[in-house]
Amino acid sequence: MGIDRIESVKKLFTAQSAKVDTNRGDAYYAELYDRCQARLDELKKLKPLNNRRDFLATIEDEGLERRDFLKWASATTAMLMLPASFTPLVAEAATLMNRVPVVWIELSDCAGNSEALLRSDGPKIDEIILDIISLEFHETLQAASGHQAEKQMEEAIEHFKDKYLLFVEGAIPLGMDGQYGTIGAKGETFVDHLKRVSKHAAAIVAVGTCATYGGIPAAAPNPTDAVGVMDVIKGKPLINIPACPANPSNMVGVILHYVLTGQVPELDSLLRPKFAFGYRIHDNCERRAHFDAGEFVEEWGDEGAKNNFCLYKVGCKGPMTFNNCSIIRYNEGVNWPVGVGRGCIGCSEPDFWDKYAYERPMANAHIKAPTGGVEKTVDEFGLGLLTAAGIGIGIHAAASAVAGKKESEKEEA
Amino acid sequence: MVKQGYRKVKRMTTAMRIIHWVNALSMIVAIATGLYIAAPYYQSFIADAAVDKYVMAWNRWGHFIVAIIFDVTSIVIAYLYFFSRFEKPYKKVLPTGKNIKEFFEVFINLVTLNRRKNFDSSHADSFNTVYFTIFHLLLAWMLLTGLQLYVHGLASGESSIGTWWPAMLHLFTDWTIPVSHALVGSSSMANLMDVRISHHITMWLIITWIVFHIYYQVWRTIYWEEGDIAIAFGGSKYAKE
Repeated sequence: MGIDRIESVKKLFTAQSAKVDTNRGDAYYAELYDRCQARLDELKKLKPLNNRRDFLATIEDEGLERRDFLKWASATTAMLMLPASFTPLVAEAATLMNRVPVVWIELSDCAGNSEALLRSDGPKIDEIILDIISLEFHETLQAASGHQAEKQMEEAIEHFKDKYLLFVEGAIPLGMDGQYGTIGAKGETFVDHLKRVSKHAAAIVAVGTCATYGGIPAAAPNPTDAVGVMDVIKGKPLINIPACPANPSNMVGVILHYVLTGQVPELDSLLRPKFAFGYRIHDNCERRAHFDAGEFVEEWGDEGAKNNFCLYKVGCKGPMTFNNCSIIRYNEGVNWPVGVGRGCIGCSEPDFWDKYAYERPMANAHIKAPTGGVEKTVDEFGLGLLTAAGIGIGIHAAASAVAGKKESEKEEA
Repeated sequence: MVKQGYRKVKRMTTAMRIIHWVNALSMIVAIATGLYIAAPYYQSFIADAAVDKYVMAWNRWGHFIVAIIFDVTSIVIAYLYFFSRFEKPYKKVLPTGKNIKEFFEVFINLVTLNRRKNFDSSHADSFNTVYFTIFHLLLAWMLLTGLQLYVHGLASGESSIGTWWPAMLHLFTDWTIPVSHALVGSSSMANLMDVRISHHITMWLIITWIVFHIYYQVWRTIYWEEGDIAIAFGGSKYAKE
């Protein structure tokens, strides 16, 4: 058992339970309100950083009305599990987002999380907010490259020392001294890159499942020995926003929470914000009634699929996955995987590619047996064990029948 | 009417027999419903209205109800292990010289097909008691992992009987996540899926346990000729004078 594993065990034992406290009482919220108000007043005094776009002008340019913005503000307040009275504060915090410097780095990734917030068909409020945050460095988006990009990164770190939020996208390969992934003109390994950039970050946000747990690069057999940010960086405030891709609403929620309170939100044992990952998908799923009724899609395109039946038998992992996509969905509430008729693949859970993302119920899954090495199902293992016991019993029974001595026979002998 | 040369020995009290058969019945229900929950193996009629079917919900209901019955009988059995006024089974699992000797004597009896029988078969022996203890440990693991899987449905921290229940479940079962991971985990991060796999494998271990249990009791009855199988029904067996 390595040090890391002991650490994660410690974390699990000492973690607060998954309980989500949705009502902490009036006194708590009154105090929090004053604290947030004071923080926003302070932020207002600061000048916007490099990105000087005015938020409200920007949403109008994008063809959205102020009314849309206020609707978004009340929905986001609810998502952050704050009382409705906080809505004006959330709206104000959104307009002050360009006061918080953000550095975004990419490691072993597909840029899917960047894509999630950039490539939406018509940008919605969440995406616009991520547009106007003061993004000081983002490899995919910036014009600079090579030595120029490195210089820009160094300047950003120097200028916003201990103030910037560091967003990390992608896993960190540790195998072969980290040589599986290098970046920049100097050929710095990903792990060194991450350590250097995170040193002076105010807080780190691991975006997407790869940055959180290693994700797809860490899937069996994990040739590059990839891990998530929390296995590399210790002793820094760290927030994980897993999912593939991470939901832009949750990214905004975390930044907003930081802008509003100056603190990281309440986290679960895997360092995921509870406001987003405190509930199982299954318990808020629109197809839950079909699950309870035993109405399942048996195969793709059958009558059940046409009737929006439960996708459990075609491998939906909603019952084991903690995420808020069944509540807030993706792309500002447009739709989500189960809504389009394919099951959840548990993309916000550790080891999702090996243990969740097969299109079969768990009983038909090919998960590694406890002995490791050989791929076989748990049921085959169990049935094998039972067969071995049955054979043993059969031999014993046959031997007893042939050669066993009953007590009465002993007496006769 | 006791056969000549034999005396009747009481081996199970009425309470023990009730617990035995409640457990046996619960086990069958738990396996049948548990397999359905893992992979629904029969279909409901598509033309029926959902409200009339409720098949998965009934399976889960049944699974949880027998789990709770198991919980209660487990607590009773744990108590009886130490404080029974009839026989205290813990005395037979302590690794004393006498118990170890008896354990191996009974085992040798089994593998020599009853050609050697150097122990007193009138009372509960060490071998069988150790075997039962293994069962109760498997069952305890099943209950803890099962409750851990269950409590996540109570994510709001509320339940029909108050907030203490999910809080208590978290307190008593959260540790099964890292332990399951140590047992069956194949990668670096402990997670709920490990608990689920462990819960599922343990079912197979229990089924295997049952198969040998039934075989062994029948085998004893046939070869020892002391009516051992009757213990579970009438509470007593016969031992040679």
